Parts: sequence; structure tokens; C-alpha cells
Amino acid sequence: MSDRHAENSPLSTLRALAARVVGAVETVANPVTEREREYRRIVALCAPFSVLLLVAGLYPLSEVVRISVSTAQYRSVGFSLDAYATLFGDPYYRRVAFDSLWLTTGTTLVSVGLAVPIAHALEKYDLPGEDLLVTLVSFPISLPGIVAAFMILVLFGNNGVVTAVAAALTGSRPTDLAFAVSVPGLFVAFVYSMVPRATLILRGTYAEVDSAAEEAAQALGATPFETFRYVTLPQIRPGITGALILTFRTGLAIFGTLVVIQTLVVWTLQLSRELGVGYDVQVAGAMATVYFAFTFLFTVLGLRYTSAEVGI
Amino acid sequence: MRPSLSRRFGRSAVTLTLFSTVAFLIAPIVLTVVASFAASWTGVLPSGFVTFENWRAVLGLADTIGSQRSMGWDPLFSLPLGGETLSVLVPAELAFSIGLALGGVLINLVVGVPIAYAVARYEFPGREWVNAVSVLPLVPGVILGVAFLRAYPDLSATSFGLIVGYSLLKAPFMVMAVQSEFESMPLRQLEESARSLGASWPRTFLTVIVPNARSGIVSGAIICWALAAAEFNFSYIVWAKGTQPLALFLQRHISNSSFTKAAAAVSMFFFIIVAVTLLLQRVGRRGFDTRGS
Repeated sequence: MSDRHAENSPLSTLRALAARVVGAVETVANPVTEREREYRRIVALCAPFSVLLLVAGLYPLSEVVRISVSTAQYRSVGFSLDAYATLFGDPYYRRVAFDSLWLTTGTTLVSVGLAVPIAHALEKYDLPGEDLLVTLVSFPISLPGIVAAFMILVLFGNNGVVTAVAAALTGSRPTDLAFAVSVPGLFVAFVYSMVPRATLILRGTYAEVDSAAEEAAQALGATPFETFRYVTLPQIRPGITGALILTFRTGLAIFGTLVVIQTLVVWTLQLSRELGVGYDVQVAGAMATVYFAFTFLFTVLGLRYTSAEVGI
Repeated sequence: MRPSLSRRFGRSAVTLTLFSTVAFLIAPIVLTVVASFAASWTGVLPSGFVTFENWRAVLGLADTIGSQRSMGWDPLFSLPLGGETLSVLVPAELAFSIGLALGGVLINLVVGVPIAYAVARYEFPGREWVNAVSVLPLVPGVILGVAFLRAYPDLSATSFGLIVGYSLLKAPFMVMAVQSEFESMPLRQLEESARSLGASWPRTFLTVIVPNARSGIVSGAIICWALAAAEFNFSYIVWAKGTQPLALFLQRHISNSSFTKAAAAVSMFFFIIVAVTLLLQRVGRRGFDTRGS
């Protein structure tokens, strides 16, 4: 091994890091310059959030990782990768992962696909009652998944309005037409929860679009579609990528909807089932760990390798 | 030359998408509220208007049993009035959720406002990361629920456990609301003026900066409150016994009760959200206007 490698060995990197941490702590405790006092303020401002994150987030998650490799049920002892072997080896879990991914991907694409024209209409057109429309589109953001599922039952359930109208028109029985409690019904319920969130993100993106360039394109004879394709779209692309990432995360996290419409076993639903009687705590821990690692990596890579804008 | 396809139909198609999506989102809400006043819903439309029986049942003013059991009424506080005791009764599930969500909001204020200020006011290494961590939800409610059960087996099902869980889950919304307010303020000038007048930095932050960001802080608090009151996933995993949080109460009715009674339970929740939205608009925002997932 060459010297260069030795310098970069994990141990010496760790030692250098520890020295830096100690130095930073000393600076924060005894600030001398104004810049150091400013660092102390930043640390003080971030401290309460860090404590909450540590106590309520990171420590509980580390316990989940511990139990997922435990050899005993209910106690964190030893080390075994049995739960992960089950998770990756058992075709049942592969099926659950596959179902979660295609359902979330499909609903994300549909939701963002709908959100682009909605945000476009709200921000670009002079519509009557625009404030009201914004309020109405945003309203479902505050509804939990169980209520979104109920909304789908109201529309497409056995007693649903759309079902009843379709049955009256075609003369078939409502129960043959109702699709709320089926995979397409679940798909629509996901879209119900995800469209308002995607719209919210894209409206923020649209608010920053330079409309002078669009007007210039129009004046030079570009059609509305060409204007959108070559002037507006390049400007909103980071917002669309950000919306795809956040909406995908939202979709993966959906759980309440599945409690009401249990037609497809996705990751979150299976995870809650693992906690029931006769199920496996280690597997539940492994499922939570895999979920966390997946969304974390996916978000970090998404933000790192695209120009996605997340948050404000 | 014929006008292009997008010039002829583009605008109408986009507007149609908007209006049909709004109809898809709002029609079931309106129908639910209408159905909550109906005696039954078996045909195309609900029938047997106007009855308050569903509402009475849901709010616990009529006798109910089993899984369709309605809210209990617990005394909120008692006033000794000239030998007699006057108890003020409130619907248990509703009051319980309101209290839990308020507790979550209090924690969110303490953790959310300072970190939003740090990101909005200062430049420091790792600022982008601090921002990402504070505005992105760490884990969804289900995962956090499992984690709480593992880490704090005795504490997780208590009110305190629920409050702490809610506060972590909803913190991003507080940070985003407050941060967008901070970004519209001349923070550097405010801070430097106050410091030059002799105020210490903590005093500047607490008595100059925070009061000036009041509208963002209030709307963040309202958003967090509403979202915590509606939190289902985390509550479902950790809740064990006793008074149910509101979202679990809703789920019990959606899964077990007659359609019209479930409609009344869900409508009650809608009215809470409408009240919150109106409050938000008075504070100066249009609906749930904070970005995030």
C-alpha cells in the first residue's frame, strides 16, 4: 500500500475529523472573533432542531437498524442478516417492493403530468375566481390518506355517485361497475392525494418564470405550444424534477389510503402487518431500514445529479 | 395559413384540465357534506333530508355501540360554583387531538423558528444540507411509528410520545413557512440596527426578529396544527388504548359505520380544515400555501 493510501485510510481520516470537531467545539465555547461568535449563534439556532432530530428521529431509527440484525425476537442481540435474506430472497417481498414501486411511479407521473397544466392555467391565465381555484386545489393537501380513500368510495364505490350514474346509463348493476376497491381505485386515490402537492410545488416554480421571454417568443410568431416547449419548459424543468422527487416520496409514504382500500400490499402496509401477532419484528425493522435507505439515497442522488429544486 | 393546433385548442385543453381536476378533487367533498345530512344513500343520490341524526351520533349526542361508537364526552375542567360543580364537557377524541396537535406545534415553534433563521440569515458551510434536512421529512409516519415502538416501548403510546412524534413529522412545514417569511425581511439591517442600539444578540432575536416574522410564524403554526390533528399513519402504529386521536376515530367510522354516518364524521373534519384555511387567509396566505411533501 502506498503512503497516499495510508494517509486516506479510514482511521487517519477519522482522527483528522475528530481534531476538527474538537476545534469547532472550542471555537463555539470560547468565540474570539466576530466570525466565531456568528458560528456560535448558528450552532445555538440549529441546536433545538438537532436535539429533536436526534432524540425523535435518529436514535429511534438506529434502534430499528439494531433489531433488524438481531438474532433474538424483541431484543437487540447478536448479529444476523436473516431478515435481509428473507427480504431480498423471498419472492413475496420482491413482489411487494415491485408493487410499491410501479404504483408510486405511475401515480407520480400522472400527478405531475396533471399538475403542470394546472399550475400553468393558474399562473399564466387570467381566470375568474383564481383565488378560489387556488384554495380549492390546495384544500386536499390537509386531508389524510384515509379521507382520500373515502373520497374515492364516494365517487366510485358501490354506492358511489359516478358508479350510480354509469349504472343508470348502461343498465348494469352498480356492483359490476364500482372500482373503488380495486387496484385502479387505489391508483386514483393515490392521485387524489398527490396532485394537490405536485401543483403546490409547480406553482412556486411558475411564479419565477420570466414572462418577457414568453411574450417575445409569441410576438416572433411562435405557437403557444412552441412557446411552452422552447421557452417555458426549460425554465420550469428544475421545478418539475423537484416535484417528481417530492411527489414520489409522498406516494411511497402513503399508508392510510391502503388501510381503507386494501387491494394491493405495498411496502408500508406490509410493514404494519409485520407488527401484528405472529409476525416478525426483525423483518419489520429490516423493511423500515430498507425504506429509509432507499428514500435517503434516492433523494440525495436526485438532488445531487439533477438541478432539482426542493423546498424554497 | 391555418392557425396551429395549440393556438386553437391549447388554452381550452389546459383550462379544461384545471377545471376537471378541481371537480374531481372537490365534488366528493361537497357530496360527503351533503350526505352527512341525509338519512340514507342507496340510490344515485342521498335521500331523506334534512336529518341531524348522523351528526348527533358522531358527536356522541345519541346512543351508539360497538365499533360505531361515537365520541365520548369528558369533562375538560370543573368549576366549583356555590356548592355545585359546573363541569364543562367536551368531545373526548376532538379535544384530545386538539391538545396533542397544540403540543406538537409548541415543540415546532421552539425547533423550527431558530433553524429557519439560521438558514435565512447566515452563510455557513453545510447550509444547503441543514436546509435540506430541515425542510424534507426524515421518514414517513409508519416508519417513525415502528422506530418509536422499538426505541421507547413504554413512552411511544403515551400522549407525550404522540406529541414528540407529531412535532418531528410536521417540523418541515413550520420551517418552510417561517423561512419564506424571513426571506422577505431585511434581516441583516434589522439585526444590525438593533445591535447598534445596544441590544444583545439573543435579545435582538427574541424581541426584534421573531415579532417581525409573526405572520409567517402564525401561519406555520396553523398549518402544523392542522396536519398534526390529521396525522393518521404514525398514530395508527403507536396508539394502543384509551382515547383515540381524531384520525383513528375517522378511520373507525369509514371502515365500520353506515355511509351517511361516516360522511358526518369526515364532514366534521372538513369543517375543522375550512376553519383553519379561513384563519390562514386572515393571516395573509392563500390556503395551504407552503411547499413541501
